[in-house]
Amino acid sequence: MTITIALPSKGRMKDDASAIFERAGMKIVAVGNDRSYRGRVEGSDDVEIAFLSASEISRELGNGSIDFGVTGEDLVREGLANADARVEFCARLGFGHADVVVAVPEIWYDVDTMADLGDVAADFRARHGRRLAIATKYWRLTQNHFSGSHGIQLYRIVESLGATEGAPASGSADIIVDITSTGSTLKANHLKILTDGVILRSEACLVRARKSAHAGDPVVARVIAAVRGVL
Amino acid sequence: MPLINLPIFADALLADFESLGALRVDTPVIQPAEPFLAMAGEDLRRRIFMTESETGESLCLRPEFTIPVCLRHIEAVTGTPKRYAYLGEVFRQRREGGNEFYQAGIEDLGDTDIASADARIVGDAMRVVANRLPGRALSVTLGDQAVFEAVVGACGLPAGWQKRLIHAFGDQKHLQKLLTELAHPRTVGVFGPEVVRLSMDGLLEDEARLIAHIAETMESTGYSTNASRSPQDIARRLKEKMELANTQLDRKTLDQVGAFLALDVPLADAPAALFAFAQKSGLKLDEALIRFDARVAALSKAGADIGAIRYRAAFGRPLDYYTGLVFEVEVAGIQAVLAGGGRFDRLLTLLGAREHIPAVGFSLWLDRIEKAITSQGGVQ
Repeated sequence: MTITIALPSKGRMKDDASAIFERAGMKIVAVGNDRSYRGRVEGSDDVEIAFLSASEISRELGNGSIDFGVTGEDLVREGLANADARVEFCARLGFGHADVVVAVPEIWYDVDTMADLGDVAADFRARHGRRLAIATKYWRLTQNHFSGSHGIQLYRIVESLGATEGAPASGSADIIVDITSTGSTLKANHLKILTDGVILRSEACLVRARKSAHAGDPVVARVIAAVRGVL
Repeated sequence: MPLINLPIFADALLADFESLGALRVDTPVIQPAEPFLAMAGEDLRRRIFMTESETGESLCLRPEFTIPVCLRHIEAVTGTPKRYAYLGEVFRQRREGGNEFYQAGIEDLGDTDIASADARIVGDAMRVVANRLPGRALSVTLGDQAVFEAVVGACGLPAGWQKRLIHAFGDQKHLQKLLTELAHPRTVGVFGPEVVRLSMDGLLEDEARLIAHIAETMESTGYSTNASRSPQDIARRLKEKMELANTQLDRKTLDQVGAFLALDVPLADAPAALFAFAQKSGLKLDEALIRFDARVAALSKAGADIGAIRYRAAFGRPLDYYTGLVFEVEVAGIQAVLAGGGRFDRLLTLLGAREHIPAVGFSLWLDRIEKAITSQGGVQ
């Protein structure tokens, strides 16, 4: 069977992913010119490469139109309900590190844990006539962390597609859930991460769509073994 | 929707409601989404069917009737007490069953005789279920948040901890986690390094200076002092939190709360069991127990089948507008709640009512009742 592996189509993620596959003995060459969105693995006819955007990769894994994808764990867990039932995280690739965190204004001296935040959220409506507003693009991860893990229900999500860290200072939200790799942007915006506010320590992963046809397929096993072998 | 979709017993049920003195009301199927999300929390968003008006207002298909019926009451300004009945379709994404199904129920608004209103609503729910399923044994579970609040209050915990525990009541996992934390308080990561600095500067003892310091810092870092939490809010809760951090629940009190939450007895025995618990633990629960007993007495007086009701102390709903009674009705042999209800004295004020309106009601899952009727032959 021919299998399809989706790789990020641009930037450092693309270069890092290609480097790992090359070390694993699967050198990727673009079909046509080097801006092409299709590629192949030198010397194997049974593997096709598709270059997609990182969030498309998580969606295509979910609907099974690709076999493997390299993308951030955060995007997979955010994009797919019941992610572990639908995909398998085969290998953590050691790049693209980013933590999804709950961050509040530094000046909230009384808030350092999710329990503190729960207290604040419970009182918020009574004090301010509205629910605690969270700016994020991570709806699913936020809901799972707040209501699933910490029993916090009284908040509202304000969708934010960019410059999320600025939302508390600008007044468009009270706190944020966002990714951070070094924490410097949070610091520059006078935000702090709660001590139990790390929702997910994400990095780029080799992810397999769970398909019944994969069972016993030597190509699938070979790809996983090759990538794991160089980590 | 073809009318044939209505449960076959809809007319009989509506006749029951009428005989129970409830006025039938209808509400639009398309509702503003905000009140449901504001009351039930963000989780509901995934389970309701939302859309937007041309002007950007969030709308949804009616996911339940209580909020629309209460909003209608507030808008109509017709005074209390009022007894409303409803029967219609609701729309929710469910794990089992279809996404559109019928619900019916009664909302009793403004009756200030709490015990008798509670007893009446439980009795009515049992009666209308029994009328649909004659000869089937009902089993009712009853809980009371007010008793839990009294237990927590009598334990002498700081207000902040009481609030946390009461907020978690009905969510067994979360409540257990909080109790464990109370017994073994965390010492690391509770206060940030800034608080240590504030303490060294002596700001924690001087609230006025602390507030001024917070306000100054907010201004210099570009944070508005009135868009979100104010300097006063932060200073006040910092004080409350220091109290929280210094509280440890001793073994004895923890065991007492555990023993209380484990109570699961026939309702007829519940007053005695609660009295025995209060005596043994030495907790002063008089007022809550008097109210509890009054409800049990009112249920007997109303002729409800008390033998079918069990009291489970840990039974509650973790929604902050539920205040006292909660109950569920099932029938033997069917693993599904056919009717659920409770007291929600806080809801109408939260929805914008000017005066306090006590409220109690129940809702019937008509598709499950239909299923129970058709499965009647198959049950041993």
